[in-house]
Amino acid sequence: MKKIVAMLLCLVLLAVSALSVAEAAGDKDYVVGKGKLIVGITDFEPMDYKDESGEWIGFDADLARAFAASLGVEIEFQEIDWDNKALELDSKNIDCVWNGMTLTEEVLAAMTCSKAYMNNAQVVVLPAAKLADYATVESLASLAFAAEAGSAGEAVLTELGYTVNAVQNQAAALMEVKAGTSDAAVIDALMAAAMVGEGTSYPDLTYTLPLNDEQYGVGFRKDSDLAAALDEFLAAALADGSLAKIAETYGVQAALITE
Amino acid sequence: MTFAEQFPIVLGSLNTGFLQTFRLFLITLVGAIPLGMLLAVAEISRWKLLRAFIRTVVWIVRGSPLMIQLLIIFYFPGLVLNTPIWGGGESGRFAAASVAFIINYACYFCEIFRGGIQGIPVGQEEAGLVLGMKPAQIFFRVKLLQVIKAILPPISNEIITLIKDTSLARIIALQEIIWAGQSFMKGSQGISGVIWPLFFTGIYYLAFTGILTILFARLEKKLSYFR
Repeated sequence: MKKIVAMLLCLVLLAVSALSVAEAAGDKDYVVGKGKLIVGITDFEPMDYKDESGEWIGFDADLARAFAASLGVEIEFQEIDWDNKALELDSKNIDCVWNGMTLTEEVLAAMTCSKAYMNNAQVVVLPAAKLADYATVESLASLAFAAEAGSAGEAVLTELGYTVNAVQNQAAALMEVKAGTSDAAVIDALMAAAMVGEGTSYPDLTYTLPLNDEQYGVGFRKDSDLAAALDEFLAAALADGSLAKIAETYGVQAALITE
Repeated sequence: MTFAEQFPIVLGSLNTGFLQTFRLFLITLVGAIPLGMLLAVAEISRWKLLRAFIRTVVWIVRGSPLMIQLLIIFYFPGLVLNTPIWGGGESGRFAAASVAFIINYACYFCEIFRGGIQGIPVGQEEAGLVLGMKPAQIFFRVKLLQVIKAILPPISNEIITLIKDTSLARIIALQEIIWAGQSFMKGSQGISGVIWPLFFTGIYYLAFTGILTILFARLEKKLSYFR
């Protein structure tokens, strides 16, 4: 009996691994065939966010719409749990991750990505009152930081050997600073520009000191030919000026990669 | 944006989220109660193999976190079998969550039903047989009402737990009320960095469980005969 069970288990494992090896090289054909590109996003101003009528807008949303149109397919935006982005892709519940995604080593290992299309940096957010005390990267060593678990910000802090509280997302990191449970947070520069300072929900916070340079890209399933298709599309959009136009709509033209 | 301006936007978003919570709650009850009865009947059947099978299923489902079950049911078909049966949209996520919740809650209900049925003294069955009643008659005319009375409190417990457990479905990005509340922490519809909508979701849960508690108290009162 035990032997039979063991043999059955082996068979199941074999079948499963055989199936998972038979991955699609023709990912573009798959998406065109089903007539819909499902874009995995999170609510992230100014890249993907909802306007008053509940429509998804933003630099990435508009760009994704144009890309889907170029493929001749419909587009569907699906909010995902950011921690599960690779899982969502591999299980084909979404077709790409297009949401101001930093091209980190982990991301590049888990997905086939487009070329970088936008510059970003990880910046330090702290109470405006304390800004003068922390002018250099070295002076930050004594602070307790909050950063999104698995984010580029957390990686930079760990590399520097600083104290990091890993929290659920970048918003939670800001909340930590506001609540005083962490001294400072490290988040995306584009997000900091939109969320911190006067006229925002965090008027008492400010951001300073980029800790690194990094870039945004779009993630597809491993070995997907859609990445190359997007690179072509982006090159054409850059050449005819439509890329710059979308960027200006959302005030991110300065960060656009133009070469 | 002032609180007065934020409030209607947040309320609208939470209402949409709660509707999704409520739908999941309702469909779980509609599916899990009959399935639980079926499992309970199978678990006290004469066939040893069937009993053993049901017991194993109940052990696996009750013994592993619902969160893991949600992840497996939603991601496994596409990830391992290479056939994404759910579709990535909101309706697919709802379908996957419904299946996970129905299976999970059916196993808990099954044990409650079994306990209720087995809790009836054997003497009643024997007395019925002596009086010339058939086993089915004994079950429906003698035992069933007593069973319903006995299982009502544990069932109401499960149902109240269920309404709060629906929040676990956010792990597969089903946009129920907790998801809706959390979205304002990060930023949504021009409101960012506010945490009160998340805490405010508690009011919805409290109100809903309050209504359920009253309903169950009434039902128990209605069934309080045989005393």
